Amino acid sequence: MSIYLHNITKKYGATAVVDDVSLEIEQGELFVLLGPSGSGKSTILRMIAGLAPLDGGQISLNGRDVTHLPPQKRHTGFVFQNYSLFQHMTVAQNIGFGLEIQKVPRAQRKERVEELLTLIEMQEYGNRLPAQLSGGQQQRVAVARALAQKPDVLLLDEPFGALDVKIRGQLRQNLREIQQRLNVTAILVTHDQEEAFELADKIGIIDKGRLLEIGTPDQLYRHPAHRFTATFLGNANLFNAHRNGSTIYIGEKRLPAPPNTEFLAGKPVQMMFRPEEVVIASASHPLDGNVFGEGIIESIAFAGALERIAIKLDPSGELIQALISPEISRQLGLRPGDAVKIGVKNFHLLPLE
Amino acid sequence: MKERNLSFGGILLLAIVLIYAGVLLLAPVLALVSNTFQNGFEPFWNAITDGEALGTLWLSIRLAVLASTFNAILGVMVAWVLVRHTFWGKGFLNALVDLPLVISPVIVGYVMIVLFGRLGWLKDFPIKLAFSWEGMLVLTVFVSLPFVIREIQPVLSGMGKEQEEAAFTLGATPWGTFWRVVFPAIRHALTYGIVLTLARSLGEFGAVAVIGGGTQGSTESATIYIYRSLNDRNYAGAYSMALLLGIISVVILIIMNNLRIHKRGG
Repeated sequence: MSIYLHNITKKYGATAVVDDVSLEIEQGELFVLLGPSGSGKSTILRMIAGLAPLDGGQISLNGRDVTHLPPQKRHTGFVFQNYSLFQHMTVAQNIGFGLEIQKVPRAQRKERVEELLTLIEMQEYGNRLPAQLSGGQQQRVAVARALAQKPDVLLLDEPFGALDVKIRGQLRQNLREIQQRLNVTAILVTHDQEEAFELADKIGIIDKGRLLEIGTPDQLYRHPAHRFTATFLGNANLFNAHRNGSTIYIGEKRLPAPPNTEFLAGKPVQMMFRPEEVVIASASHPLDGNVFGEGIIESIAFAGALERIAIKLDPSGELIQALISPEISRQLGLRPGDAVKIGVKNFHLLPLE
Repeated sequence: MKERNLSFGGILLLAIVLIYAGVLLLAPVLALVSNTFQNGFEPFWNAITDGEALGTLWLSIRLAVLASTFNAILGVMVAWVLVRHTFWGKGFLNALVDLPLVISPVIVGYVMIVLFGRLGWLKDFPIKLAFSWEGMLVLTVFVSLPFVIREIQPVLSGMGKEQEEAAFTLGATPWGTFWRVVFPAIRHALTYGIVLTLARSLGEFGAVAVIGGGTQGSTESATIYIYRSLNDRNYAGAYSMALLLGIISVVILIIMNNLRIHKRGG
């Protein structure tokens, strides 16, 4: 176990910004802490680095209890959102800073700095000052600086937040490559679900200081255990339901229960399906699969490769979001105000909170 | 040279500025120089090599250097606390820093006499502050207090604490982080603040005149010497010392301008 958090808690006054969080991360894993701003995810990272003291709990890194160690003795590499390079030092001096502190001999230091400059593909930039670099280049230097002393864990606090979209994508790939090549354990904090999906081996969902659930991107998207996860990771249609026997009751409607949901038998549940699971047919035509209901198209919006359609369910008036390919939409001749049948390909059940 | 297209308003503004600068700055300097050398170079040389005059200048320089050293160290600490720490009464303390700029130095000198004088409430204070050079030093420190603080504050808050935290995670101690990371960042602002402090201290008259009493040979600074020389109709002495102080100020001004360019360039 590379990183082990046991019931860690951080309070400001009476409110817990980090509330009893426990977590285990394997060696070489890239773990993403995903949550809205103010959810406490950055604080967790700062607690691991020793930059924010704990009010309770325990932290181990590579089997070493670091709970009461200062940041200097934790062997973590930290990358900040605003790069935080030392402005008066060259790129090479920035990367070599930690080695210099540890009194690594000059020749050895130089060799390691060269190695890292090669790793981030910035060999010719060693003598530049941070102010002479682009944001993306500065962040690469910050990553190299954090890796210079071969830390037990690399901690990245919204590292791409200040960069524009195009560079962000490129840097994500670079980071993933570097992290896998060095097989270094890493935790990345972000509020961007797309970033989490692209990078993470595993994602931990944080809300109001609590770690709600952990899973692979695929698991969390398809089979979330919490309503928050369902709505934070993309769009979700949610309906209160009840599971009885092998049937789901949603108001007057009945659908066969999906497999592996026996543990929810007899309990109030929520039925969840993603907009891309919705199928639409004209009112007069038959529909493949489960018929969920009928409704009136409220709006149709362009959403890149797909069309985003909002349907007002009859008679309850609840809104259903659907993603439909433009071809199908054209075949059906869909227009706002049309009456349609709504079907659901796959759906998921989660406990009602 | 860039092409200049000045409108009538622009020309008028420029003229006003030039006349203003001429009347307020250039004319007094010219008058001072011409008065100083109206009887040739010798009276000037005699006046500034006079033992008494040199003594007052020495006292002024000593006060300025000591006050600047003190305010440099204290200023960094106060700026640090005001930027990096949160505590009850911080806003009040921050406002208090500007007090020396808005309160008349003469009043501060008078208050000091009332407190530390022979009949004052704190007359048993172990260091004699009334009518002593130590008292003059305390007041010089007071009147030049804000400059270093106000120069460093924006630099510190602008750089944020992440660089320091990065240094911590890389193994640097707080003390090591200060010297390797923070000090290089505030160096130019600090020097600029010290230069301002020096200039302000050298020119101080009211506060040091009141607290020191201007006793010849002991608590008479260069500015007090000028004042006394004028009263005694020793014009050669007054003009010469004034010119000398003026030259020192100009030198400081030049240093300051160079630093400002440096500061802007990062």
